[in-house]
Amino acid sequence: MEPLIQFRHLEKSYDAGGSKFFVLRRINLEIQQGEFVTIMGPSGAGKSSLLSIIGMLDSAWAGEYFFLGEPVHKLNNKKRNELHKANIGFVFQSYHLIDNLTVFENLEVPLSYKNVPHKERVSLVCDALDRFHIVGKKDLFPNQLSGGQQQLVGVARAVILHPKLLLADEPTGNLHSAQGEEIMELFKKLNDAGTTIIQVTHSERNAAFGNRIIQLKDGWVVSETAAATVQSA
Amino acid sequence: MDTIRQDVRYAMRMLWKHRFATFICAGALALGIGANTATFSIAEAFLLHPVPLEDVDRVVALVDSQPQRGVQNTPVAPATYLEWQAQANSFEQLGAYNWDGVNFTGDGTPQKIQDFLITPNFFSVLGVQPQLGRDFLAEEGQPGRNQELILSYGLWQRRYASDPKILGKTVKVDGKPFTIVGVMAKGFDYPMSAEAWLPMAFDAKARVERDNRQLWVLGRLKPGVSIAQAKAEMLTITRRQADTYPDSYKNFQLRAMPLGEYAAGDLNRQYTLLLLGAVAFVLLIACADVANVQFARVSGRQKELAVRAAMGASRTRIVRQLLIESILLSLFGAVLGVFLAQWMLTLILSHMPPDIARYIAGWKTIHLDLGAFLFTFVVALASGIISGIAPSLMSSRSNISETLKESGRGASSGRARHRLRGALVVAEVAMSLILLVGAGLLVKGFHALVSVNQRYQPETLLTLNLDLPAVQYPEKSARVTFHERLLESLATIPKVKSAAMATTVPYANGGGASGARFSIEKRPLAKREDAREAIMETISPSYFTLMNIGLRDGRFLSDADGDKTQPVAVISGSLAKHYFADENPLGKKVRVGEDDSNPWLTVVGIVDDVHYNWLQKEDIPTLYRPYRQNPPHYTTVVLRTDGDPKVFVSAVRAKFAGIDRELPIYEVKPLDVVIHESTVGIGYVAAMMAAIGVIALVLASVGVYGVMSYSVSERTHEMGIRMAMGATGASIHRLVIGNGMLLTGIGIAIGLPLAFMLARALSSLLFGVSATDPFAFIGLPLILGSIAALASYLPARRAVRVDPLTALRYE
Repeated sequence: MEPLIQFRHLEKSYDAGGSKFFVLRRINLEIQQGEFVTIMGPSGAGKSSLLSIIGMLDSAWAGEYFFLGEPVHKLNNKKRNELHKANIGFVFQSYHLIDNLTVFENLEVPLSYKNVPHKERVSLVCDALDRFHIVGKKDLFPNQLSGGQQQLVGVARAVILHPKLLLADEPTGNLHSAQGEEIMELFKKLNDAGTTIIQVTHSERNAAFGNRIIQLKDGWVVSETAAATVQSA
Repeated sequence: MDTIRQDVRYAMRMLWKHRFATFICAGALALGIGANTATFSIAEAFLLHPVPLEDVDRVVALVDSQPQRGVQNTPVAPATYLEWQAQANSFEQLGAYNWDGVNFTGDGTPQKIQDFLITPNFFSVLGVQPQLGRDFLAEEGQPGRNQELILSYGLWQRRYASDPKILGKTVKVDGKPFTIVGVMAKGFDYPMSAEAWLPMAFDAKARVERDNRQLWVLGRLKPGVSIAQAKAEMLTITRRQADTYPDSYKNFQLRAMPLGEYAAGDLNRQYTLLLLGAVAFVLLIACADVANVQFARVSGRQKELAVRAAMGASRTRIVRQLLIESILLSLFGAVLGVFLAQWMLTLILSHMPPDIARYIAGWKTIHLDLGAFLFTFVVALASGIISGIAPSLMSSRSNISETLKESGRGASSGRARHRLRGALVVAEVAMSLILLVGAGLLVKGFHALVSVNQRYQPETLLTLNLDLPAVQYPEKSARVTFHERLLESLATIPKVKSAAMATTVPYANGGGASGARFSIEKRPLAKREDAREAIMETISPSYFTLMNIGLRDGRFLSDADGDKTQPVAVISGSLAKHYFADENPLGKKVRVGEDDSNPWLTVVGIVDDVHYNWLQKEDIPTLYRPYRQNPPHYTTVVLRTDGDPKVFVSAVRAKFAGIDRELPIYEVKPLDVVIHESTVGIGYVAAMMAAIGVIALVLASVGVYGVMSYSVSERTHEMGIRMAMGATGASIHRLVIGNGMLLTGIGIAIGLPLAFMLARALSSLLFGVSATDPFAFIGLPLILGSIAALASYLPARRAVRVDPLTALRYE
């Protein structure tokens, strides 16, 4: 099967007073469809930068990046945006729900950017509310929800269009352990249902929910190992 | 469409959430949009519909101009008109009119009427017909047959109580019987202010006149003929005329233009365009203010925008979302602006004296119409885009991944944003300075106009006009007797200090003072076009003293200067300077016109110059003659009173009735009212420009304040560090105010040369305006700078109060 993601000699750097400061160096990586990959490493290792590049939020890099065989490095912004919209969902550490939108409207956001018609949008949002058991919260604003509930909405928003790839940047970083566990269980279920997941985390326990760990240090991939199996709570 | 609705809903929610900023921005935009809507309504009336007739764009005005003398419109002589009529093929027909004024008597109170002499086909050229009765017949344009008249609707209503049986009635016009054959429709009053129309007839002598320029010619284009084609044909005809009669046509040049453009008038057009430009500047300043607020708002929403991008929003969608917000804000401003515009128009319309309004083409059509609403909508859309585009584009460009990081500040485009905000303030200051200088100069010019007339002490002068009909007063002696009796009689009214008469009193009758040629003994003209010209005044001897016009040399005219004594004249200082530069004019002889039959007049005195109207920028040579030697028909009588002149009106009317009860007197007004009415137009422009200047100043200060305030709040951390490192309050003050003043200084430096260009244009338009006015170019920038300094000081004071510990913890 064609890999979902393929990097060849990916590099990202900044100009720093005439010299280059490398954030990512010569990354060669393949991620298959259906994998649950964890990116780990110390602070400043380049984890979030790699995640942004995978999510096509960052286009300032060099090298080759194939997504489902499409050469992302050759695509213009518009094409990249379409590829991103069609295939990728995001979950953030601090949820990043839009404060002035209700839960219902937050879930609607990605749908509206894909020009999903109104009726279908309502139907998809209702389905997501139901799936994630947050129907009762649909008219609440983010500041009326707990952290766990907010992240639940964040995950629901990320997967509402059934993306092939779900990217999560420290998804449980702001949650207490029970809430974090719940979210990771949810990820596991989504992965089992076929969604490829790439997460950035410092937590060994969270990493254990996945099946591969990529270790970064100073922008280099220093190891790729299989994850230990997590003991479900 | 569905997603747009979603964006609109969200935008409204955001505007409501930040309602204080929303109301401030909408208020600023309302000022800009309201001023634009009101000015557009005026411009629409003046420039687009000055003549409210159907199909008016097919009517062309054909006038002569004298480019070398800067004269835009000059009438043509009968022979010129008749040749045009015979030779031009571009027009269905050509017609002409001439200004006139007649006395209506014999059927009620004697009344002075503003009439026009017109060729019988004049109404056909305009495409109108009388509402009642008939148009003039072709034969009524023959000498001796022209004894009919057509009334305006207004005169028919006022004088004849809308009598439906008015047709066929005979009235006395200047003592001669005329038959009323028609009444025009309500609202039709072309040429402006017309109350009646009389047929014009050319006798054999008039038909060959080429120098007696008195006709204003209009033509209706044939179907399919453009103005350009008609103009080309007319230029061929006028060139032929100039070749054949070079003396009569040299230095004249034909102008052909749509009637609307002609009726609007060049001056009206210039001032209207000036105001349109000024309010456009105000709107741009308001937009810059709003853009600055939008910058501040969207930079607080960087994370939201980054999340939207991460959710798949394209840059276009994000820009659209933000633009919808700023357009909604502008539309809100536009709604407020329409109310403001209506208020402004009501204010403007209600303060214009009716006697002046009726002479302003398009004045009565000023109102907020569909065009104005459409204009407002378009302006609001444009304002929304102008004020929102830069913040939207800038925000949509920020680094998404950086912004979404937990510690990310989303400030990757911060420096560019700062630069742009600074540039907006610079532009605001520059535009404000230009407006302030324009406003300052106009106000100074208007003030100079008012001051120059103070020497007449106009508040104690009563003026009134009369026109002695040629039928009743054909002889010079009859007119002299009339004037002698009148002045004697008026002087007996208690508390009337003195009475005088003149043919042209400053500012009376719109200040129109036309020049005439004159000759100087033993100094024949080398070339005909070098003709000497002066205003020819005929006055009573007491006029100079009554008007406080000073004697420079020689003597005033006296009661001894009669028809049996040597013909004499007094000249103005400018005439002496212009034509007797190297010699003493006293004792020299001059003659009105170039006709040998006119007597030589001996110059016996030189007096100060008089300012005749607000358009006059330089003194006009004037020649005064005693009324006993040249008794006029048309006269303005002036009375110096002890107190409010208005209380003397009934006594004055009684004195007139005692001398000639059939003679109407009109325009009975104190001179200060006459001057006010004559200058009210430029007063309006000056007042509007002053208001615009103040609005611009306020908006620019708000802009400086907003940017400095935002800058301080963004730099709280930096201020904290600086203070922790030992910075004093004074140094923080200097830092913030210095930044604000740097922007202001750059704005002033850019604005000054542009303001100078405007000042040069204004100085050529208006009396009393200097292109190098120190107040405008030193005083106003200082005022602007001081206010900007204050606007920077307030945020600076806040910066000084920053607690270093709090500021650092905040980070």
